[in-house]
Amino acid sequence: MKIEISIIYNPMTAAQLKDREVRTIESITFSPYIVRLLEMGVMPGKSIQLFKKAPLRGPLALLVDDHFIALREEEADLINLTALS
Amino acid sequence: MEIARQKATKTIAIIGNPNVGKSSIFNHLTGLHQKISNYPGVTVDKMVGQINEGERHYELIDLPGTYSLFPRSEDEIIAHRVLNGAGSESPDFVLVILDACNMERSLLLGTQVMDLGIPMAFVVNMKDLAAKKGIEIKSFELYKSLGVPIILTDARNNQGMEAIRDLLVNEKFQQPKPFRDFSNFSHKKLLDEVMDHFELENQYRAFQLLIFGILDNFYSKPQREWLHVKSSECGFDSFSQQVEETKQRYRQISEVLEKSVIKPQTGNKKSKQILDGFLLHPIFGYLIFGGIMLLVFQAIFAWSEYPMNLIDEGISFLAAWIYQTLPTGVFTDLLAEGIIPGIGGVVIFVPQIAILFGFLAFLEDTGYFSRVVFLMDRVMRPFGLHGKSVVPLISGMACAIPGIMAARNISNSKERLITILVTPWMSCSARLPVYIILIGLTVPQETYFGINLQAMALLSMYLLGTIFTLLGAWALKQILKTKEQSFLMTDLPIFRMPRLKTVLLTMFSKSKIFVLEAGKVILSISIVLWVLASYGPSGKMEALEQEKIEQMEEATRYGGTQEIEEMFASKKLEASFIGILGKSIEPVIRPLGYDWKIGIALLTSFAAREVFVATIATIYSIGGDLENELTIREKLEMQTHPDTGEKVFDRATGFSLMVFYAFAMQCMSTLAVVYRETKSWKWPILQTIGMTIVAYLGALLTYQLFS
Repeated sequence: MKIEISIIYNPMTAAQLKDREVRTIESITFSPYIVRLLEMGVMPGKSIQLFKKAPLRGPLALLVDDHFIALREEEADLINLTALS
Repeated sequence: MEIARQKATKTIAIIGNPNVGKSSIFNHLTGLHQKISNYPGVTVDKMVGQINEGERHYELIDLPGTYSLFPRSEDEIIAHRVLNGAGSESPDFVLVILDACNMERSLLLGTQVMDLGIPMAFVVNMKDLAAKKGIEIKSFELYKSLGVPIILTDARNNQGMEAIRDLLVNEKFQQPKPFRDFSNFSHKKLLDEVMDHFELENQYRAFQLLIFGILDNFYSKPQREWLHVKSSECGFDSFSQQVEETKQRYRQISEVLEKSVIKPQTGNKKSKQILDGFLLHPIFGYLIFGGIMLLVFQAIFAWSEYPMNLIDEGISFLAAWIYQTLPTGVFTDLLAEGIIPGIGGVVIFVPQIAILFGFLAFLEDTGYFSRVVFLMDRVMRPFGLHGKSVVPLISGMACAIPGIMAARNISNSKERLITILVTPWMSCSARLPVYIILIGLTVPQETYFGINLQAMALLSMYLLGTIFTLLGAWALKQILKTKEQSFLMTDLPIFRMPRLKTVLLTMFSKSKIFVLEAGKVILSISIVLWVLASYGPSGKMEALEQEKIEQMEEATRYGGTQEIEEMFASKKLEASFIGILGKSIEPVIRPLGYDWKIGIALLTSFAAREVFVATIATIYSIGGDLENELTIREKLEMQTHPDTGEKVFDRATGFSLMVFYAFAMQCMSTLAVVYRETKSWKWPILQTIGMTIVAYLGALLTYQLFS
């Protein structure tokens, strides 16, 4: 019998950022929104900071480099962040 | 070979990311020489401005803001079509506006435009902000890499505007070299085939066609079919190609920017965050938003009152003047009773529209609106609306017309449509006179626990409107289907001081659109209503007129001509087509507690809700000062049913009427604007039917509950 062991790599996403936490974008999950996010300047290598969250799991105000953008939670969830070193 | 033609007017397209100052440059260059027309088949307005320099004429097209030439919203499709020359010739020149603070992102679009091969130039705007951030742009280095003219500007402070004008009128545009490197492109053969098939000379245009030609109904069915077959044969996946292109461009752009833009190591971020800390705050943010909206709402009511009265008086004066000056006849009647009041009905809304759009332009220019979208998105989503629906809905409390017009920047077509369809349920200012008079008749002027009952009743009507707006949106969300995804992804641009010129220009152009576009429809409906109210089956009207003349002769001897005038005005209305119509709908409206007289008022107030008061006044032949609502109310109070002797305006009828007015689509201006904004009669007609059904059922329920 063969047991398949797979380690699911679950990176942290921008949706899980804590208030004022700064991280670096590692990748963006392939999805219909990826082009839009890239166009907005959200791309690997950029720093990202959570500025404010709207109540009741509303949109997130994020600072990408030093540009303010607002994303919904499910959109922010596509942005994978580098692990803290 | 293409033969060079000498065109009388050359076209220049202006394109750039949203919030890059594109419109402000456009306004600087063209001032009031702007006109708004439509792109075929879409609701987006085409903003065109003129520049004249001696014998040469230039037409500037202000394209909607977009982040790339991969279109998703209607706005972006326009930019894509115009630049690719689909539906019309492509422009002679393109001016691309870049953001000095975010060169990387704006060059994504900029280099896509380069690849289309149209002679072009770059404007790097907001150089003041970049300087403040310590960003240095070496424009000569940039020019060396990109190969087209580059102008640094600060449009808000008028810097560099002369340079742009000079570039335009001297046609110093340059033909760009292709930026994207297609040498390693995986579907090169396919690209060649497309170029052959569509007779294109430009690789990137062929690429764009492969990506969007299939979806764009501008191309014929066989053409789209051909593209579909070809791309599936070669395994060309449009979406991953977009991702690939975007990544490749960013790589190439960063190489360019490495040499030409110097960024400071540590940004000075603190200053702008303090303000946003409050504006986006989970508590203060909402308080500030509520406060601002209260202020705007207040201003629309208070400031527009004076000009609206002035217009009202002016129109009555004009009508009276026509009566006195022109010879008596049908034409004079039509002019003075149909056309002039019809125009008046359009113009009367201009102050509210102008003030509202002034405020909206002011708030938009500061960048506050994207903060509102951020705050309200979560609240609106369960109802099938978008954060961007908030502004139209709130505007709808003043008047649905500017509200519906403001729905334009919602990119998702379903959310935009829902917003347009439900906005008329927000309690607009035209309902106010109707509510006030009916509440006065049916709700006692008493105070319980320090709360005025009449004020409570008015507040309830506003709440009823708001609740049903949201419920209606929720219901439409279940019915309407779309494949489009809803997304937020919006920029929160830096706060800036608004500019008076932009605000005034917006006020002017929005009012102009309203008067010209909606005016046509409103005018024709007013004429129809006038004809229906002035004419009846042959014989009857003439007999009445004869009788009136006889009685008048008698009355002049004994006095009291006014009473007779009023009595016959009422009798004539009863005998007119609209009176007959009112009587014929009586069986239908009887269950709601209305008699045929109210029926006539329902029909005439289709022109505008506030006409209710005037019609009721005429039909119950209440003379005197119409402005004085107290007298109308007192006389209505005395009206009784001839058969039963009961009061006509009892509580049940009054409440039922209020509910009817809250829900019914009794505003042809709104109807006209919905037609204009959706570009079809389907939606305004369905909307009217739907609203009337809800109004009828609501009024029926109310009447049965209270009687």
